[in-house]
Amino acid sequence: MNAPTERPEIDFLAVARALMPAGATTDACVGCGLCASGCPAAGLFGMDPRRFVNMAALGMNEALSTTPWVWACTQCKRCAYVCPMGIDVSLLVGVARGAWPDDEKPKGIVRSCAAQRLDASTSAMGVRSEDFVEIVEETAEELRESDPRFADLRVPMDRKGAMFVVNQNSREPAVEPEEMGPMWKIFDYVGADWTYSSKGWAAENFCMFTGDDAAWKEMVETRVDAINALEPQVWINTECGHSFYTLWKGIERFGLEAKFEAGSLVSYYAQWIREGKLPVNADWNTLGVKFTVQDPCQLVRKSLGDQAAEDLRFVVKTLVGEENFIDMTPSRQANYCCGGGGGFLQAGMNDERRAYGKRKFDQIAATEAAYVLTPCHNCHSQIEDIGGHYHGAYHVTHLWTLICLSLGILGPDERKYLGPELAGINLPEEA
Amino acid sequence: MRRPHRRIETQLTVVGTGIAGFAAALFARARGLDVAQVGHSGALAYTTGYLDLLGVADGRKIADPWAGLDALRMTEPGHPFGRLANADIRAALDAFIGEVNAMGLGYTPAGAANLTALLPYGVTKPTLSLPETMWPGAAALAERAPALIVDFAGLQGFSAAEFAANMAAVWPGLATARLAFPGMESLQVFPEPMARALETRETRAAFVARLRPHLGAVTHVGLPAILGVHRPDTVRAALEAELGVTLFEIPTIPPGVPGIRLRELFERHLPGRGVALEPNLKAAEARLDPSGITLALHGPMEDLDIRAEAVVLATGRFLSGGLRAERSGIRETLFGLPVAQPDGREAWFRPAYFDPRGHPVNRLGLTVDDRFRPLDAAGAPVHPRLHAAGAVLAGQDWARSRSGAGLAIASAWAAVNAAGAELGSSPGDPGPTTAPGAAPAQEPGTA
Ligand SMILES: Cc1cc2nc3c(=O)[nH]c(=O)nc-3n(C[C@H](O)[C@H](O)[C@H](O)COP(=O)(O)OP(=O)(O)OC[C@H]3O[C@@H](n4cnc5c(N)ncnc54)[C@H](O)[C@@H]3O)c2cc1C
Ligand code: SF4
Ligand code: SF4
Repeated sequence: MNAPTERPEIDFLAVARALMPAGATTDACVGCGLCASGCPAAGLFGMDPRRFVNMAALGMNEALSTTPWVWACTQCKRCAYVCPMGIDVSLLVGVARGAWPDDEKPKGIVRSCAAQRLDASTSAMGVRSEDFVEIVEETAEELRESDPRFADLRVPMDRKGAMFVVNQNSREPAVEPEEMGPMWKIFDYVGADWTYSSKGWAAENFCMFTGDDAAWKEMVETRVDAINALEPQVWINTECGHSFYTLWKGIERFGLEAKFEAGSLVSYYAQWIREGKLPVNADWNTLGVKFTVQDPCQLVRKSLGDQAAEDLRFVVKTLVGEENFIDMTPSRQANYCCGGGGGFLQAGMNDERRAYGKRKFDQIAATEAAYVLTPCHNCHSQIEDIGGHYHGAYHVTHLWTLICLSLGILGPDERKYLGPELAGINLPEEA
Repeated sequence: MRRPHRRIETQLTVVGTGIAGFAAALFARARGLDVAQVGHSGALAYTTGYLDLLGVADGRKIADPWAGLDALRMTEPGHPFGRLANADIRAALDAFIGEVNAMGLGYTPAGAANLTALLPYGVTKPTLSLPETMWPGAAALAERAPALIVDFAGLQGFSAAEFAANMAAVWPGLATARLAFPGMESLQVFPEPMARALETRETRAAFVARLRPHLGAVTHVGLPAILGVHRPDTVRAALEAELGVTLFEIPTIPPGVPGIRLRELFERHLPGRGVALEPNLKAAEARLDPSGITLALHGPMEDLDIRAEAVVLATGRFLSGGLRAERSGIRETLFGLPVAQPDGREAWFRPAYFDPRGHPVNRLGLTVDDRFRPLDAAGAPVHPRLHAAGAVLAGQDWARSRSGAGLAIASAWAAVNAAGAELGSSPGDPGPTTAPGAAPAQEPGTA
């Protein structure tokens, strides 16, 4: 994968001067190494962020254009957080990725992006628009039949003028459709005025990770057009982080016209709990099961900052009980990326990805919590994987699972991510 | 897409998240003020963790910093310490150390005399307060205790052999050993991930197994600073219980753990104490008007205006971005405050790099009045409620005098007290220091 073939010659120093704010370009580096010390990708493929910055300053452009490390950097921007100059290595990494010929880029990322471009659904898992409509309707029908409380549940599709347009990660319709149920139940419970869009609904975006700006732009345009057409006030991104970042950032970067606001589902959970619409509590946690939470980089450090981290903690503490919540350290904007981001999960570099994830694993292990709550899908998959690899004794769940558990509306087949101690708790009466 | 615009109003806003900024935010909350704080990474990340007050005067190490301060006021009347009484400096240090201890990071109390603390290359320096994880090293040196110094394969900038060789005259007979850190047997390792890993039982057990065969008859073991980031005192206690020796940490060169520890400690605890903290965002612009000060910040997804009745500016020097050297001279970066300076760059430096008097450029900064308000060219306060603290102040060279943290903490104390008095809060008016619903998260066991 690292054979140097013909690539556009990139002048990384010029790129740095063009993309980075004044005072935060590679010229400002004092060589302190804080970035390398704080980066979970440091040492993989013999590279780390300080070296990358140094080599850019020295004009070692070919080496930077060919190192496979650019696929191990998850573009999490933790380097910019720890660097006194705010030097953001992920910007250079994005440009370096783009210089790789498509046939030498990690196949998983390229394939995922290509799949997204095949259908208006923008799904990386090949779920077409009409499939999505059908899967949603079938799953909703099963839910209506199995749970009398939700006999009238509606899952609106392409409803113009709804307040919220909500997206959906492809993983659920593709492999675990029953996992869509909890989110629908929450919307039903709070009486949200929402809809899916049959076009551009997929909440993943690997095109940004390929470093191909044109593909990223195309993806964002398809989605923005689809959302604009439904005229919502707010586009709510599901619990996942990277599709949130790629959309708002893409809108800003490519100067697209979006006639809606961007919101995170996690912040809406917090709002609905504060407003009393979602009367969750921790009464179910009589065993005192301990929980920690992963702050998705894409949502917290890269997008909404500590406000999102605060909302996330508020939701989690309300759900599991203040005394049962154990924060990871570092956390919030200082949090480590889990190693699932940036396309790493799809890049086929399992050894490196797990080495990256060791820091996350240590952080989780240090909390000694039995559950890790991960809003984001990439985090979910990666944290499960490293848990298995390093023999961690924790479960990984989404927030919607616990919200429905607390409300007593989590069906028996919506519990696959719960451990045995919680599997039988608060089952809906009629079920 | 509309870019959200948020506005918050506060009584006091602290600009800067170094020692001076964090100290100011804590002192202001203790006075019951409504506080916001903004900042980013900076010089704090490089500290050894020692809290220096005054370690060097006239080029010589001193034992009594308090007497040293009395002398300094005579010889350097323009020094910021000249505007502070020893009693206030002591009160400031006691309050700061008390807060840090309450947050769960142990520091020794500031005493009457300097302690002799260890540095990575086997040299020592005078300082006033040490992290609990480092204090036993100073004590062991004083007793010439039989000790083992440990370093790690792949860890640059810390060599046990070099430490022992340079220490031989004052601390003879130090044993040394090099370990491979469990799970990090790779080419280059950094202290930070080692410290994080030692927060888990599994790594502690593996580490104990590797260290135990080297103990011999020593009573003390010195390690680079890696005993956890978040709970170093518990990590140390857990390891000592297993090993049956006293452990102590020696600070490493950057990138080291002590500065990360402090930054993360404050960032973790200040929101719970009611400080509206933006830890990853610098103020981009500032506007002064007679009734207050408005700061503009530009986050990734939103613009934020902070309206403050009073401001403490604690933005540090060149490394942290509070001052910038431009062709025309040295500038204060946020407000464009006057920086008194000699004409021309030639006058910034003395010809000899190691000139014992230091270089004039290191003493440039903001000139302030007794209430720590920056002054304009005519000698009047630029704004009635704009204050400054820490390394950005003129007339001091903290690096040479070994007074970094002490100056930052004491000047923050003075600046906050002056601002608090103007805003009508009294020192005995602590108000709620814990925001509702912000009890600390539970700690897992370490036994
Ligand atoms: C290598 C090194 C070793 C040190 N070792 C010691 C030691 O052993 N003992 C000791 O006592 N001291 C030590 N210090 C000194 C100490 O860390 C501080 O530098 C000193 O206390 C000054 O603190 P400060 O808060 O005034 O400034 P700084 O620590 O420089 O903090 C300034 C802060 O302001 C922020 N800032 C700048 N511009 C803006 C803006 N526009 N908006 C918002 N925020 C802004 C920066 O991001 C930074 O967080 C050391 C420093 C260095 C560099
Ligand atoms: S943290 Fe910043 S200044 Fe330090 S080595 Fe990395 S890029 Fe350079
Ligand atoms: S973006 Fe994240 S993974 Fe990439 S260099 Fe920076 S800290 Fe490392």
